[in-house]
Amino acid sequence: MSKRKLTLKIFLFLLLSDVLETFHQFCFKKSTLFEETPHLTGFYDLLLFFKLVFSSPFFWMGLLSLILMFIVWSAILSKIDLSVAVPIASFSYILVALVSVLFLHETITLLRWIGIFLILTGVIFVSVSSHVKESILT
Amino acid sequence: MKEGQLFIFGLIVFTSLCDTFRELFLKSGVNALSQFNPGDIKGVILFILRLIRTPWVWISLFFGFLSLFIWIFILSKVDLNFAFSLDSMHYIFIALASQWILKEKVRWMRWGGTFLIVLGITLVTMS
Repeated sequence: MSKRKLTLKIFLFLLLSDVLETFHQFCFKKSTLFEETPHLTGFYDLLLFFKLVFSSPFFWMGLLSLILMFIVWSAILSKIDLSVAVPIASFSYILVALVSVLFLHETITLLRWIGIFLILTGVIFVSVSSHVKESILT
Repeated sequence: MKEGQLFIFGLIVFTSLCDTFRELFLKSGVNALSQFNPGDIKGVILFILRLIRTPWVWISLFFGFLSLFIWIFILSKVDLNFAFSLDSMHYIFIALASQWILKEKVRWMRWGGTFLIVLGITLVTMS
């Protein structure tokens, strides 16, 4: 059974999963930004750390969008091959980088941007290579 | 790389390995079940019921949660863009693991992609 046809509807779903991926990473990062960063030395401090994380609404928003992403992603994979879905979904590497700069005030040097683009290209290569294998088999 | 950064790098390798185990165990669990017709609601419910009774799926969930907790700890220590870029190494692990277990032939494209990811991670870590 071939399921490689990428329709506009599936493409929009893929964009949605990109947004959900970026949003849940952003929320998780936000949930770890405390007013006072606790100094972690022992196991008890680690429990305290997670108590602080769980009391942040950002953590629960992140978890919710992670679950939503899982549902959207499962729906996408039932329609198209992983090797088609992953290259489009890996757009989130750019999206996460942009959100980090714009909303988390992180700095990304030119060298790091080049690194991110290399990773993006590499992920596309790895996922397309399994597509080549499938098309030879079928 | 500073000493603290090396520790975080090690943790990211560990979460990536956890993600790989999560995927492999989930795939094993799903493979053990028979196919179902997605249009049939009764079939889908039966599929889910059988899925949660598969031990592989529980092992997969365990690795998923372990990875999630460590991931949050990592995010508290380093920039999001740094951690997220490095997390791409799980593509390498999954590709390697499926080659070893499924005995797939190594294609130049996969090695090329793996090389680009490694190169990208190196640049992100250096900067």
